[in-house]
Amino acid sequence: MGMIITKYGAVLMRAMGQTLLLALLGLFFACIIGMIFGLMSVIRNKPCNIIAMIFVDGIRGVPMIVLAYFIYFGIPYLLNNTFKIGVTLSALQAGTICLALNCGAYMAEIIRAGIQAVDIGQMEAARSLGLPYWKSMRRVVLPQAIRMMIPSIINQFIITLKDTSILSVIGFPELVNRAKGVVANTFMSFETWGIVAVMYLIVILALSRCAKILERRLNHDR
Amino acid sequence: MTDKTPYTMSESKDAGMGTPDGGHKSSGNVKIHVSHLQKVFGKLEVLKDISTDIYEGEVVVVIGPSGSGKSTFLRCLNRLEEITGGIVEVDGVDIVGKKTDINRVREHVGMVFQHFNLFNNLNVLDNLTLAPVELKKASKEEARSDAVRMLARVGLEDKAGAYPSQLSGGQKQRVAIARALCMHPDIMLFDEPTSALDPEMVGEVLQVMKQLAAEGMTMVIVTHEMGFAREVSDRVLFMDGGYIVEEGTPQEVILNPKEPRTKDFLDKVL
Repeated sequence: MGMIITKYGAVLMRAMGQTLLLALLGLFFACIIGMIFGLMSVIRNKPCNIIAMIFVDGIRGVPMIVLAYFIYFGIPYLLNNTFKIGVTLSALQAGTICLALNCGAYMAEIIRAGIQAVDIGQMEAARSLGLPYWKSMRRVVLPQAIRMMIPSIINQFIITLKDTSILSVIGFPELVNRAKGVVANTFMSFETWGIVAVMYLIVILALSRCAKILERRLNHDR
Repeated sequence: MTDKTPYTMSESKDAGMGTPDGGHKSSGNVKIHVSHLQKVFGKLEVLKDISTDIYEGEVVVVIGPSGSGKSTFLRCLNRLEEITGGIVEVDGVDIVGKKTDINRVREHVGMVFQHFNLFNNLNVLDNLTLAPVELKKASKEEARSDAVRMLARVGLEDKAGAYPSQLSGGQKQRVAIARALCMHPDIMLFDEPTSALDPEMVGEVLQVMKQLAAEGMTMVIVTHEMGFAREVSDRVLFMDGGYIVEEGTPQEVILNPKEPRTKDFLDKVL
């Protein structure tokens, strides 16, 4: 145990840094993607609704490991061999795209559900005063929707943070990927995976703590 | 900020007295013209053929059994419901016209809802100032002082900083009325404004509405408050099955109904 920490502690910490970097990048783009497709599924516009539905169902219907292989190996292969376009994606790029798409689809659903959970009367009251649709959405509906979404969004953040471990399969040097290396060198499976588990646990507990505080702050007027 | 003076208590004619003759106390200007209005939800024909004119300064009360289309009729007047057929004109503007900006029409048509629909994320003052400020009707300061005036009119000047969740039903509805008034509308629509209130709070809301009526506001009110209708309205529309079955002064419709369906309904509610 002590040997792992003294000898490989720095490696594992760096790997945790990479995990967090990947998670942050993925979550950032996932929020944008989720917002776009979430809004597309609530507005009264059939083509937008359908596009959003196809995106969400498509991404949700594919395991993330398949998505990762597809983006990292499949797409560059197709481009190189069929279209003769030389493209290579770094593991970080592919991993970010993969996380952003995957988490984005779930976020879109959270955002759709959150907006639809706001009483329709709120929008009607805003519109009755002469406020245009998007102004009403931005000033009245979204602030209330986002407050309701926060527990689900945090939950999704946690899932996405853990899902970065799946991207070890495309060789991104995140925590699980590096831990495999440590185990290969030391054969100390129990200690290594135990340490890795605790590292995830600490980060995620800290994240949920922050979320609780944020939630309480936002509910000050309740 | 419009230069129109807000309706104030002191300027009002005979507060709460209603009109003596029951005729149109209006100058004869049509504010809302409704002609052969039809509204269909899926297969359900809620409004079949509604025609009426609402005059400036008139207080029109709409009564009728539930499902008769009263609320739908009211919601068609500011296009919260898309109309299926017929014409609705507000101040001569066809509200479904291709060139019509419905938001501009709505600025002049206030609406008060059964369930108040105060913006839960904003305090009372921000509820009142949101639309005037966002729509550039007033600067933030002007909107604020206007909002405080409107709150005083409905007797809630001490609630400016409160959130909707901290108010009673009657207070919420009075704030909702004040919010609508902050846009300085010349027509007010009320959709069962007292139906969701505890009985002891109905009076305070009706009082504010009486005051508005006395000040000459054009009002269309869907309500089950027959006493209020009798006292305040100039004209009563009785709706049933998607039609206006009977209309006239409150004396005519409420006290001496001619149509069997009106009699039947009034027997049940009075």
